[in-house]
Order: sequence, then structure tokens, then C-alpha cells
Amino acid sequence: MKRRTITVTLLLALVIAACGGTAETTTTTAAPTTTATTAAPTTTGGETTTTASEDPLAEFGESTDADMTLVEKALGDVEPSDEGSWNIILASVARAHQDLAAAGIDIEKALECWSQPECDTGTGGEIVMGYADGGGNDVNVWRSVSHMEAVLQALTYPEIGAIVSTAANFSQDLAVHVNDIRFLIQREVDFIVGYPDAGIGLAGAVAEAEAAGISYVSFSAGYVGLPDQAGALIPGEDYLTVVGENLCDLGESFSEVLNTGVGSGKVALLGGTPNNALTLGWQRCTVSSLSGPQLVNPPVNQDTTAGDTSWFPPIIPDVFRGLLTADPDIAGYAYEYADGVYIGLQVYEELGIPVQNLTLALRTDEQTLFCDWAERNEPTYNIWYSAGGNFQSRTGVTAAMMSINGAEIPATIIVPHVMRQVTAENCDPERVDPLVSGTSLIPDDVLAAMFAG
Amino acid sequence: MTARRVPSSALTSFVVASRYLPVYLAILLLILVASIWAPDALSSVSLSAIAPYGALLAITALGQMLVIMTGGIDLSVPGTLTLAAVIMVGVGEQADERVGLALLTAVGAAAFVGLVNGILIGGLKLNALIVTLAVGQVVIGVLYRYGRTFPVQRPVPTGWSHWTTNRILGVSPVFWMGVIITLFFIVAFRYTAVGRRFQVVGANPVASNVVGLRVNLNQVAAYVVAAVLYAVAGVALAGLLRIPGVTSGAQYLLGPIAAVVIGGASLNGGLASPLSTLGAAFFLTGLNHMMMVMGLPTALRFVVFGLVIIGGMLVSGDRIIKGVEQVFRERRRPGRLENETMTSP
Repeated sequence: MKRRTITVTLLLALVIAACGGTAETTTTTAAPTTTATTAAPTTTGGETTTTASEDPLAEFGESTDADMTLVEKALGDVEPSDEGSWNIILASVARAHQDLAAAGIDIEKALECWSQPECDTGTGGEIVMGYADGGGNDVNVWRSVSHMEAVLQALTYPEIGAIVSTAANFSQDLAVHVNDIRFLIQREVDFIVGYPDAGIGLAGAVAEAEAAGISYVSFSAGYVGLPDQAGALIPGEDYLTVVGENLCDLGESFSEVLNTGVGSGKVALLGGTPNNALTLGWQRCTVSSLSGPQLVNPPVNQDTTAGDTSWFPPIIPDVFRGLLTADPDIAGYAYEYADGVYIGLQVYEELGIPVQNLTLALRTDEQTLFCDWAERNEPTYNIWYSAGGNFQSRTGVTAAMMSINGAEIPATIIVPHVMRQVTAENCDPERVDPLVSGTSLIPDDVLAAMFAG
Repeated sequence: MTARRVPSSALTSFVVASRYLPVYLAILLLILVASIWAPDALSSVSLSAIAPYGALLAITALGQMLVIMTGGIDLSVPGTLTLAAVIMVGVGEQADERVGLALLTAVGAAAFVGLVNGILIGGLKLNALIVTLAVGQVVIGVLYRYGRTFPVQRPVPTGWSHWTTNRILGVSPVFWMGVIITLFFIVAFRYTAVGRRFQVVGANPVASNVVGLRVNLNQVAAYVVAAVLYAVAGVALAGLLRIPGVTSGAQYLLGPIAAVVIGGASLNGGLASPLSTLGAAFFLTGLNHMMMVMGLPTALRFVVFGLVIIGGMLVSGDRIIKGVEQVFRERRRPGRLENETMTSP
């Protein structure tokens, strides 16, 4: 009788312990918005009022005690997104140490992990991080910076003992992108953070990774196909999550800029690789919300992108040339890529078209364009941008680590955005490389080392 | 006693020249279509804007033409061209005074690549398609490694990019470079012994060997000169783009081959026309531009290009020559020949 009582008591104690461990879980929302619902920490003047014991992510080894000046640097003066997304974003920014030495991160180790296909972080950790980029350090500054952001983030986790990086260098051969993922699977990484340039073409490889127990996280709204596209993978179901802006909101923000800045004039859409999810996502909503401007190159249908540049410098002038030959009086563009417009502006020179009465709605913020704008000093030429988005790879790393630590991750981690008008302050002549986004969270000394020479 | 009528030299010339007709007909057709569907593409401003890019394709196509004339093919074009472009950045170091050194280095490096191709193909008689593909991959690996010695997306010296985007008689100097190179080969093929020998070697290497022509040397030289031309295009492209990347030459794999074939040359080797190759390059560039102006989606542009290349193969110089030969063979059948026989007094 006594033995039975003890056994029952022990069983009851176990049950109570199990039920008491899930008091604070991250919400998962299928369709989050960019408007604030609940922001986990309250923030005033760069400080947070969250204590360690109140921090909603403490049990997963994270802190939402982010420096809000860095948040504003990366995102602008935004309203927080849904609680689940916002907490993870804050947690990722909280690890964006600007003084690496103080944070115990060796800059040489960071450079090694950034420049080599594989590195030992030196912590003895057992987790292996995989990084799969459809572009790469060698072909594009934005990709190079995003890679370093992820590396620096990984180095804040002692549990991560190795970083393995692949880069497809924008190869036209889909097999290169697919084999990069398969290589990481064979390498037995624990999670993969990446940007899927090949989109749906990567679905098979990503599914293989997930089947092997390797979480896949994409950033910069890098959907493996938009959810309504045939063959697309569903974030939250088929792969862990995608970090990025609400693409429809972004598209509507672009059209708001053009509606105001262009009025009834002509506008054109520019995008990346044909029918990629990022471009498709925002272009759909830009097209549907334009009111006033005349679109000179509407997409053929809902599943097709317009103004495909592949974000590839040799092709960008061709696209601009085609548009401006037919419509030299285009008064506005919507495009993800600021430096792409800078490359395209040379076509204005070729065709003898003055750069004036022009409004740009952009996503990234390469200084090449902004400094060119400042130099032109043309009052009828205005540029609006949201954010480079490089830091989103950090958010991907944090989301993956939180998942390993038992957190429930939202299917999409919505990064809020706000459109900002370019001013002279956006051109920093001291910037180590004008192609590096001003919204990047990489410390200047690291950037200087990355782009030295 | 009867005598057979001998075809006149004018007729022979017509038969030979007929293989180059399709490209000119294609250009006329393009102009006609553009005048209806995309008239803005034919404006002088528009044409002067695409002229340097047509010239770039023409220069690479002329190099490919030399190789194809010897019965070979060169798939190392993207790598060699990009290597030259990247050298303009790396050696140029954004300093105008280093442009000359960068140009020489780019051309020299490309010539070395061509020499390797030439020796392996012309000397050791290895398969051209495989060799140039492999060499191209090696070159791409080298240029990626070299590209890491300086920051990604670094520009070429400002003076060089200004020169390429300048205007001479309303057009970029790159266009005039293409014209001059084309004229050089026209003159060389027609009026120099070296040029004539090169054509003979390409048309019939066996017979050329028998009569003592140095076939292997001509084949090696073809790859070297071709590589130099790719380098010329590469440095010019670097100037036009200002910031050439390590993938800048990716578009120049099939385009030059298409231009050579549409220009009337046979992939089996033999005669080719620099002028027709130039025309084909501008046809392809103009076609791409017209489709951009019309706003055709990317997928449809690829389809059109593919169909044009197939069309070019169907009406290729080889087929025209065979067709013309067939016509004359029919005319010279025995039944017909008796009627044309002259009887001696």
C-alpha cells in the first residue's frame, strides 16, 4: 500500500512538471502583418525594460534585450511585427555585437569562416551550421555581407563548432544549387541558412534536408516558391521558416511611393531572376495597388515577373535600354536593388535622357546610387528605400538555434519595413565600400577587413 | 568531239557567296518586323546605344569564326573573356596610368590560354569541344581565385570606362574597334598570303598538308588569335560595365557560335565571311534589343532565340551550298548535257 502511494505520488509529480514547462511559447501565425500586436519588450531611448526573468525567449537561450539603435539602423523606425516574429528579430539583433573583442569574438576567426568553405569555430561545440547561397562572396557585395552577418551571428553561439558554406555564384545550372544543398546534407550539418535563388528548383533538395532532420531557413523573403505556386514548399510545414518582409505589404509600399511621386506618369517594374518568389511576391501587390501611374511593362500574368534583370550587372543595362527606348519618359521604377538602378542609369547617358522627374521605390540601400543621387543634386529626382536586409541572415541563424533548443518558430518571421527617403546623410564618403548597405549590422572594422585592398 | 561547258567564275563566286545571303535577308526581315512592332528600336539613338554590344559579340564571334574555320570549336570564350575583364580591375587598380599594363596583361593571359588550347588541339589532336570546355573551366577557377585578391565588385580605372563610353561620330569607340577588326580580317583573307593559306588549310587540311602547308601551326594560331580577340572584347566589356564581375562573360558561350553559324560558316570547317559574321552578331544583338523594347517576357525571348538559331541552321551556308549544287547537278544530267553539247566542225 505504501509502495503504491509513493509510486502514484511520483507519477503525479512527473505529470505536474511536464505540464508546467510550456507556459510561454512563441505564437505561430499563418498570415502575420506588419502592424504591431504585442511587442514583447518595451523600449525607450535605446534601452529595454525587459529583465532576464521576464524575457520571453530566456528558456531558449536568447534575449530580446536588443540595442534599439541597431534595430532602427537595420529596419528604420518601424512598428513591430507580430510578437513571435518580433521577439526573434530582437533576439537576433541582441547578438549583433559591434565591439567584437568585448563580445569575445575573434575577427580573424570571423574572416576565416567567411572566406573558407569550412571552418572550426574553436568552441568545441557540436552543432554544425550550413550556409547555402545561390550567389556568393565572389559575385556580389550584398551576398558577401549577408554571409558575414550569418557568420558573426553563429560565432555568438558556443554550441556551434563548425560552419560550412557553399555558394552557387549565380550559376545558370540548377544542379549547382541543388548539389550545394546535398553537399551540406552529406556533411551532416544541423541546420542550413540560405537564400534560394533557384526557388522551386530547390524544393527537392530542401525536402531532402528536412527529411534528414536538417532544418532549412531562408532569409530575405527567399521562399522556396510562393505558397500558391505549383511545386512550392510551404514554410512552417516543409521547411522551418522564411525570414523576410511581408511581400505584399512591401509591394504596396512601393506603389504608395510611386502613386505619390509620379502621379499620372509612367512607371516600370524591375525584378531579379525570372519568376523568383521575392520579385513575384511584391510585384503582384504593386500592380494591384498602383493608382494613377501608367505601368509600361505589366507582368503577363499573376505567375510572371516583369523587368527581369536577374540582378546581373551585364543584363541590367539591356533591360533599361529596352524600357527607355520605348518610353524615354518613364517617371518611376520599383525594384529591389539600388545598385542595379545605379548600373542602369548609365543607359540614361547613352540615350541622352536627363535624370530628372524620377521617383524610385527600392528595397536595398547600396550607397553607389545614393552618392550618385547626392552628386546630381536634382530636386525632381527622389529615392525611397526600405532596408538592405542583410541582417536577416542573423535572424535565420537565431531562429534555427532556437528551434534546436525547443522553440516553436513561426512559419514566416515577418520583418517589418518602412520606406525612407534618401537624404545627403545616406552618402557616407568614409564608407569602406560604397556597395555595402548602410543598414548592415557588421561592425566597421570587420567591413574594412572584408573589403581591404 | 564534244566539250563540256565550264561554269563561269562569276557563277562560282555566286555559289560561294550564296551561303552568306541568309544573314542579310535576316537583317532585312528584322528591320521590317521592328519597323512594324518596335519602331523605336530603329531610332539612331537606340542603334548607337546597342552598337558597342553588337561589336562585342562580333569581336568574340570573329575569334570563334577563326577556330571554326579550322574545323574546331572553342567553349573557353566566357572564361577567357571574363579573365581579361577581371584583369582590367585587378591590374588596373582603379588607376588610369595602369590601364596600358592591364591591357597588355589581359591580352597576354588570353594568348596563353589560346596557346594551351591550340597545342592540345592542333598539336596533340585532342577533341576541341572537350579540351576547350576543360580549359574554360580551369580559367574560370583561376579567375575566381584571382578575383579574391581584391574586393568584389571593384570598378575598372575611370579613364578606361570613360573611353569606352565616349562617342566617335556618335558611336562608342568599341563599335569602331569591331569594324576595324572585321576589315582587318576581310583584307587579310583576300589580299594576304597568310590569310589565303589559312582559308585553304581550313577548307581542306589533308590537301593542305600534302602541298606542304603547316596545318598544325595554322590551327594553333587560330586558337591564339581567337583568344586575343576574346580578351579585346573582355576589356571593352569591362569598360562598358564599369564593374565587371567574375561572371560577366557568361553570356558569351553560345552567342558567338550562333553568330558564326548564322553568318554562313560551316561547323565542319572551311570558308567563312568576316562581314557576314559581323552582320550576324548585329542581327542577334538587334533581335535581343527589339524583344526588350517590345517587352517580351524572358521565357518568350529564350524561345525566340532558340527558334532563330534553329532557323539559322536550317538555312545555313552548308545547306544552301548543297541546294545550289543540287540545282546545277540537275542541269548537267546526261539528257540535258547532250542538248548543250557543241559539235566540232
